[in-house]
Amino acid sequence: MSAHVVCVTSGGGLPIFSRKKGNTDSLPFSTIGSLNGVHMFGKSQKITLQNTVTEDYSLAWKEYHDSLVLIGISSGCTIEVLTKTLDSIFNAIVLIVGIEEIKSQRNIERFKRELRICYPLIDRLLDSLDCGDSGSRHSSDLIGLVETILCPENHLIQIVLDSFTECVDSLFSCVLIHGKIAAATNSWWSLHPEEIKLLAILAQSENTSSSKDIPVFLPYKSPTVAFRFVCCTLIPDIQLCCLCGPTPVLSEVEFSATNCFKNSADILSSAIQCHPRNFHSTCHIDGGILGLLLVNTTYGKYMITRNPHQNSNKKNASSSHRLDILRTFFYQSVLTFLVPSEDSNEDAEISNKSEANVGLETYWCSEYHKCFAMKIRDNILAVLFNSSIPTFAMRLITEKTLKNLISDKQICW
Amino acid sequence: MDVEEQRRLLINQNNPPENSSEEEWSDESSDDSYYSDSDSSVPEWESSIHDTTGELLFIDCHPFVTQNIDTTKPKTPLQPFSKDQLRRSTRGKFLRLIRRRESQRHSRRYPKTPDLDSTTNKVKFHDSQEGEEKEVVLKLSRKPELGLPESLLGISVGTLSDGNRVMVAGFPPDSEAKHEKNIKIGDWLKSVNNIPVTNQNLNSVLDKLSDKHEVLLKLQRVAGVEVTKDPPINELNCQSRFVRELVGFGKEDEQLLLEKLAQYPIGILYLNTDKLSEGNPEYDDVIYSYPLPFQKSVLCQSRGIFITLNHLINDVTRTKPQSTSFFHRDKLCHLTYTQENNKLLLFLFPDSCASVKESVLISNEIKRMFLFMYQSLDQCFTIESNRQQINHFFARCFTRLLNAKKWTTSDYITGNKALAEPSQCQFEDVLPVAPTLPLPNEAYMQVDDALTELEASDYREWNEEPLDCQRLFTILGSALYHHGYLLISHLMYEDLIDVHVFCRQQGFFHLSKTEPVKTLLLWKEVFPHSCNRSANTNAKIPDGKRYLLLVGSRKDLLAVIMEAGGCTEPAEDNMGPDAFYVEEAQATLAHIQELGIPELADRWISTNPGPQVTIPETCTKRKSDFLDTLSKSVSQHKEGRKPEVTSILKRRNSDQNVTNSSSFFLDDHSDSGSQCESRRSRCDSDDSDDYGDGSQMSNSSFDISELRQTILSETGEIQPRQLTAGKDNVLFHFIQFDATEGILIGPPECRLQSQTIDAILDCFRNACHKFHSLFQNTLRFKNMPAQDMAKSVMNKSLIAIKEHGVMFECPFLDDIDNKKSNIKYWVVGRLFYMPHPREVYVCYQENIPQNIIELAFKIDLDLAK
Repeated sequence: MSAHVVCVTSGGGLPIFSRKKGNTDSLPFSTIGSLNGVHMFGKSQKITLQNTVTEDYSLAWKEYHDSLVLIGISSGCTIEVLTKTLDSIFNAIVLIVGIEEIKSQRNIERFKRELRICYPLIDRLLDSLDCGDSGSRHSSDLIGLVETILCPENHLIQIVLDSFTECVDSLFSCVLIHGKIAAATNSWWSLHPEEIKLLAILAQSENTSSSKDIPVFLPYKSPTVAFRFVCCTLIPDIQLCCLCGPTPVLSEVEFSATNCFKNSADILSSAIQCHPRNFHSTCHIDGGILGLLLVNTTYGKYMITRNPHQNSNKKNASSSHRLDILRTFFYQSVLTFLVPSEDSNEDAEISNKSEANVGLETYWCSEYHKCFAMKIRDNILAVLFNSSIPTFAMRLITEKTLKNLISDKQICW
Repeated sequence: MDVEEQRRLLINQNNPPENSSEEEWSDESSDDSYYSDSDSSVPEWESSIHDTTGELLFIDCHPFVTQNIDTTKPKTPLQPFSKDQLRRSTRGKFLRLIRRRESQRHSRRYPKTPDLDSTTNKVKFHDSQEGEEKEVVLKLSRKPELGLPESLLGISVGTLSDGNRVMVAGFPPDSEAKHEKNIKIGDWLKSVNNIPVTNQNLNSVLDKLSDKHEVLLKLQRVAGVEVTKDPPINELNCQSRFVRELVGFGKEDEQLLLEKLAQYPIGILYLNTDKLSEGNPEYDDVIYSYPLPFQKSVLCQSRGIFITLNHLINDVTRTKPQSTSFFHRDKLCHLTYTQENNKLLLFLFPDSCASVKESVLISNEIKRMFLFMYQSLDQCFTIESNRQQINHFFARCFTRLLNAKKWTTSDYITGNKALAEPSQCQFEDVLPVAPTLPLPNEAYMQVDDALTELEASDYREWNEEPLDCQRLFTILGSALYHHGYLLISHLMYEDLIDVHVFCRQQGFFHLSKTEPVKTLLLWKEVFPHSCNRSANTNAKIPDGKRYLLLVGSRKDLLAVIMEAGGCTEPAEDNMGPDAFYVEEAQATLAHIQELGIPELADRWISTNPGPQVTIPETCTKRKSDFLDTLSKSVSQHKEGRKPEVTSILKRRNSDQNVTNSSSFFLDDHSDSGSQCESRRSRCDSDDSDDYGDGSQMSNSSFDISELRQTILSETGEIQPRQLTAGKDNVLFHFIQFDATEGILIGPPECRLQSQTIDAILDCFRNACHKFHSLFQNTLRFKNMPAQDMAKSVMNKSLIAIKEHGVMFECPFLDDIDNKKSNIKYWVVGRLFYMPHPREVYVCYQENIPQNIIELAFKIDLDLAK
């Protein structure tokens, strides 16, 4: 139940940072040195270390732009997820300091100082690893995907948001409820899922003041030129974010935000009731369903809920475990079988045969629960059931629920 | 060349053409009179016994046409084991036995100069009298579109196994030569118009003759008995390259192969981690490495990384590393770790040969085989005399892996020949289990009896005087294989896996599947799991040595584990095989063959009366059609299909009967001996119990041929079974994997070539690997002591998964026009805990919903029957 991530410079092996998760000691310096040493020595032998697995742990090395090496160690999760997490962490670094700074590495000490801002992001990203402990507050995080909240009020918020976007003369803006996207402009969705995800985490991190104004480099869209990421709190736990150029200044943005949203305070406060259910209370969901995970692979967004029924408002002890199960199911089975990996596109010839086989549905049955996932086009629904449900019924229920969800205009998925 | 062999040659020349030069020689060579009382007990393999270790590997093949094994096979007479006569002899068996041992020692006194080339195993070529020579006058025909020999002579040619002599391999359609009764497939084409022909000069000789109208062919019958007179003895070779490599590599081949292997990221390394320090010489820590030399091996050069990682990861995570993946020159490779005390065993495989999960399984299997062969890894790698053997093993093993895990010979690697396609995923073939072929009851009982009799080694009835000497070996167990399938096993589960892994890795299964083996004989000291390695110290294991005796003939392979020491005579060091026990095993195998078990098994494999699998067809029916048929299927099942299926099988039976009467088996019955008689009498009593009333078999005339017919006719009643629900068969594949008993049930190898099914099965196996490792999690947690559970860092969501399924969609690949249509199919795996862990994997078309528990139950029913 522990995870470590270590960053060192690939040239000199200087440690940049080391973060951990779970109740474990930090890695001693000598260990970090050796972990980097084997990777470095491998290069002289024309060997690029990728990963190592033990019975319970996974280790992964990844070098970025010949300048930084990230090393991750985690228990209980697959290599694929760990490697994706390392990619996300690197993107978080790019987000804060930009790619140029990473490549040039003029002043390591300054670089380290600048990265301090990154730490909350990195720690949050580590929470996406399914180490198998349900203690984590963020066990609904999925790596590389951004969480959304499906409030009934999303339509109304969207309208207000669009008018706000015109006011501040930017295309990119969104409204976050508890860090989950309630509404966003089309341009916001056109960003890379990684970027959307990182910005959402950034908005939440160190929420001390009511507003933020941080320069960010978008890892895919503009890794060299910084944007301004402005973020104002509308009411507690609801934030308005936008990306803009040098103008308008923060106070102007705040002013526009107040102007646009002052009449929608009621909407916002009713929308916030949707948390932590994340989900329309009016939508009919089969009684046997304990949890839902709805993913859209094109936008890289998902909605996860652990108590889809209205009456289950009281928080029972097992419900946070449900998110863990759904997440593990998603990582272990859905990601493996239903989501074609991006790497396979590169050498299409080799993987031609296996690519021909596309997974559509997957399920597993445990002693204590059952899970079923189904893919229709780019939407995937993973459902957690009680273990008493007959296996054949899961398929029908999942299919019905998924069709319901993606066709329901109310939900605005 | 072997001195013995040369001497024998001399003898052969001195006493020109004799009926059995072989026996003549043996009589002269051994001054004991024993051998003269039996004509087949001459151990033709004796000279192959290794001088110091007593190990033996002897393979004798029938000559054959390349890729056309079946045509020559029917002509090969069954080697009559006239052991039966031997048994009739009134002399005390054990007295003879002891004499024989003396004689063996005696014969070793003959000076033997050690062979320089092959140090471990020697092959002796078996030669015998030549067939008749025939002269045929053929009219030349002209069909320019065919190859030269075909167009001119109307004969298609192959080469005899020595690669030099020309053999008649077949006739093109409408050839005149086909009607010439003196030309038979398998004949050696010696000369054309008195010009001797070889494979090299055939075309040029024919070229010159192309303007003639008639030619004179000289042919010689080869099949059955090898011709030995003309070609020099060192060219005579009735072995394929595969067999030669199985027995031993030539120095040059090995060197070529090593050079080639060094280009691939493949290898094995055994290290002493204590010896790794700055002060020591560079390769001081390396105990064993392959391929050689150290400087060229990727693994050896970069071992520092993995030694460090092994140590480091253990420190950080308190768990041992299993595998590491890395890119070497842009090729993905996987490395696996095995640590024992201060020794570290590393395997490296390229991803193109084996995925991570396959790599781990393959390296575990190789490790297990070494433990079986050498007791411990230390013994395996540190003892110098094993080295040659291990090198030889890895040369073949890596050759196979690089050829997409298909057995091949080293010239494929060294000769830059095209290697097989990128490797298909293997699942069943890398699990430590033996694929099993369930036999019908009667056949099972007979084989069971035969093996039990062998194991009991009860020789009282052959002795008149009481015995006062101890026996040499106790037989711990035996197992019978056919075509690589386990038919029956009397071994302990763990030992069965040992034996199976050994035979699989050494390629004996491939041998029995593909080569026309006449005699296979292997003798080796082994360390079965149950006797030496098991952790269970409660059972007292007698102090002694165990030996593996493999006896093979045609597609059959009998494995026997014998123990010396304990209740038998104390074990000697480096004991060689004992002719008596070898003959016993051979006789048992011959008896089983006489019973018709191989034919039965072959038929079993080809008709597959067990659960049926199908191949995907373009789906013309809609799902609703399938569902409609569901309700009807019950009634149709009862009436339909039954008659036609039985009729087919019945027809076969009658065919079989016809061939029986003309086959060599009948000739044998006349002189089947006392052993058979004893069997017979027992069978009779058994049968009279079983069939008490109204059995058509009359006791008096009951003999093996009838038994054989009974066994073979049993297939008549068996119908193909459909595992899946619904009218149409939608099952593509199934596997039942039982790690405890070490057996695996699955359909026989796919006979039909279909791109689609290949793609589907590849995907199926990949998914199975994934499921299997998830199930391992569950099993691990189940077996975990309660106090460790809290400490365990396992993902709590994964601790109790017992069923996992995925539905895939795949385009139909076979038919270009139909590329658009897709096939949907499920891959489902299920773990059962009771009574012991068992895993079932199935792959079926999606149309009809299936219940995996029901399918597993049906597979089990099939076994029980």
